[in-house]
Amino acid sequence: MEAVWEGLGLAFELKNIALIIMGVLIGVIVGALPGLSSPLAIALLLPFTITLEPVSAICMMAALYCAGTFGGSITAILINAPGAPPAVATAFDGYPMAKRGEAGRALGIAAFSSVIGGLLSLVVFIIATPMLAKVALSFRPQEYFALTIFALSMLASISGDSSLRNLIAGGVGVLLSTVGTHLSTGIERFTFGFYELSEGIEFVPVLIGLFAISELLVQSQAADKALERIKSVVVQLPSMADVRRVFGTVLRSSGIGTFIGILPAEGSTVAAILGYNEAKRWSKTPEKFGTGIPEGIAGPEAANNAATGGAMVPTLALGIPGSGTTALILAALITHGFRPGPYLIKETPEFVYAIFGAMAIANIAFLVIGLGGAKIFARITLIPRTFLWPMVFGFSMIGAYSLSASFFDVWVMLIAGVLGFIMRRHGFGAAPLVMGLILGRMVEETLSQSMTVYDNQWWRLFESPIVCGFFALTALSLSWPVLSAWRARRAKRKAIEAS
Amino acid sequence: METSAVTKRRWVHPVDLALSVAILSACAYVYYLTANFEEMSPLFVDNLPPQWFPRLLLWVIAFLALLMPFEHAVRVARGGSGMDGERKNTVKPIAYITVATMLVIVSVSQLLGTFLTLLAACLVLPPLWGERRWRLVAAFGIGFPIVVALLFSQVFKIYFQPGIFGLSFH
Repeated sequence: MEAVWEGLGLAFELKNIALIIMGVLIGVIVGALPGLSSPLAIALLLPFTITLEPVSAICMMAALYCAGTFGGSITAILINAPGAPPAVATAFDGYPMAKRGEAGRALGIAAFSSVIGGLLSLVVFIIATPMLAKVALSFRPQEYFALTIFALSMLASISGDSSLRNLIAGGVGVLLSTVGTHLSTGIERFTFGFYELSEGIEFVPVLIGLFAISELLVQSQAADKALERIKSVVVQLPSMADVRRVFGTVLRSSGIGTFIGILPAEGSTVAAILGYNEAKRWSKTPEKFGTGIPEGIAGPEAANNAATGGAMVPTLALGIPGSGTTALILAALITHGFRPGPYLIKETPEFVYAIFGAMAIANIAFLVIGLGGAKIFARITLIPRTFLWPMVFGFSMIGAYSLSASFFDVWVMLIAGVLGFIMRRHGFGAAPLVMGLILGRMVEETLSQSMTVYDNQWWRLFESPIVCGFFALTALSLSWPVLSAWRARRAKRKAIEAS
Repeated sequence: METSAVTKRRWVHPVDLALSVAILSACAYVYYLTANFEEMSPLFVDNLPPQWFPRLLLWVIAFLALLMPFEHAVRVARGGSGMDGERKNTVKPIAYITVATMLVIVSVSQLLGTFLTLLAACLVLPPLWGERRWRLVAAFGIGFPIVVALLFSQVFKIYFQPGIFGLSFH
C-alpha cells in the first residue's frame, strides 16, 4: 500500500503533472493531425525525455498514449479524416452526426466514452499487473522463451493485413537485435567494423525512421492535398439521456478493449473495430449504424481507450508489448535503464503506480483539454503540410542525433525510414519489426539459458506444461488467419445454401 | 488495373516474386556473414555458438519468403483484396527526390555541422514540396532551426558539432 501512495505521490508532483499535461496536449494535437500518430510522437519524444527523470519521462509518454488515441477522434468526427488508425471506426457515425450539425454532441459522447473506457481499463491495469507479475516471477527462462515466442506469433495479426509479411517483418526485427556483441561469448556479430554497432542497434533512430521518416515520404506525395475547413463547433457534454443510451455500450466496449489490449501485440485499432461491431451486434437498431448514432461513437471510443490501459498490463508485468505504441514505451523504459517485466514491479512498484496515476490524470486532462480545445485542435489540420513535415524531419534528425551526438544515428534513422517506406508499400508492418527488435534479445537470451539448463536437448523444453501451453497458443495464433478465413468461407457457403 | 487482372490469373505475383528473391538473396548473404564470425573460445563450448540463433532466424525468414509470391493469388482466390492495395499507385517522383535530398543533406552533415544541416533541411524541403510563399519559407527555414538548436543545446545540453563554420552554440 505504501508503494501505491508513493507512486501516486510521484505522479502528482507538480513537475510531473505539468509534463503529463504537456503529454496530453502533444497527444491530442498529434492524434488530431492525419499522418501523425502516437507511436510517431513517442518515437520523436524519446530523445527529448532522455534528460528527464525516468518516472517523469514515462508518465509523459503514457499520457501522450492515452490522449493520442482520443485526439484522432476529433478530426474523425469533424472532417471525416481520422487522425490515427484507432479512430477510423469513430468516423463511421461521428462524421454523419457532425454533418447533421451535431458535431458538439458527437465530440462530447466521444470524450465521455473515452474517459470511462480509459478509467475502467486502469482499474484492471492496477489489479492485473501485480497479479500477472507475480505469476511471471515463477517463470524460468524456458517459460519466458515460450512466452516471447507466443508474443511474436501474435504479430501475425497486427498492423497491415498480411500475417505472412508481419511475421517476416518480426523475424527481421529479431535478426536486427542480434547485431552487436554476443552476450555469452563476447563475439561481435554484423558490426561491419562500426564501433557504434558493437552494443547493438539503438532503438530510437530505428523507431524514428520507421514511424516518422517513412510517413514523411508517404506525405511528400500528398503535400498539395487540401483539407476541409472546420465549421464552428460548440462542444457539449453528453446529456443524461445520451449517457443512459450509451452506458451499456460503453461498459461492454470497455471490457472488450481492455481484454484486447492485454493480449500481446493487439492494439487500439483492433479494439475499436471490435467495439464498433459489438455495439452494432447488440443494438436493437443495427441498421441505423453508419447514419450517425451515439452508440456508433461510444462503442469504438470506449474500446480504443480501454485498450491503452489493457496494453500496459503485459508491457509492465511481462516486458511484452501489448500494442505497437507500448512497444515504444517499452523501448523508452529500456533506454532509461529499466528492465520491464516482473522484476520491475517487484523492485520498483511505486514506478508502476506512478504510471497508473499519470494515465488517470491524463484521462481527466484530455476530457477538459480535448473538449475545451476541440475547435483549436481541429484547426491544427490546416497547418500546411509543406511546413509540418519538414518540421517533423528537423525533429527526427535532431532527435536521432542527440542520443550520442553522432551523425551515425541519423544515418541509421534515414536507412530505417527508407526501409519502412518500402515495407509499407509492399504490405509489411513497421510495428512487427519494432516488436521483433525489442523482444529479440530476450528471445535469444532465454533460449540460450534454456539450452544450457537442458544440455542443448531442445526437446526437453516440452517437459514444462507452461511451455507446452504457450506453444499451443502459438500454434493457435499462427493458424488463426487460416482458420478464420476457412470459417468465413464456410459461413458464406452455408448462407448461399440456405438462400 | 490491367496488371491486377493479369495477376489474378497467376499463382505467382511477379512483384512478390522479385521481393522474395531479394529477401532470399539477403538471407544468403547474411548466412555467409555468419560463417565468418570469429572462432569461439573453448571456454564457451557449452553455450550456443553466436551464429546459431541468427541462422535459425534466417531459415525461418527464408521459409516465409518462399511463400510470399503465392500470397496474392491465394487471397484473391479466397475473394480477398490481394496484396496490391498500396502498390496500385506508382511512387511519385517527389518521394525519390525527397529521399535523395535527405541523403545529400545528411552526407554533408559532418562538414556543415549540426545547426547548418538542420538549417539546410528546413530551407530546402518546403520549396521542394511546392511551397512558394518565400517569406514564410525564409521565416520557417531560419526561425525553426534556431529555436530547435537553442532548445537542444541550452536546455537538453546536447553538443552541436561545429562543422567547418564553427557554429557550436556553446
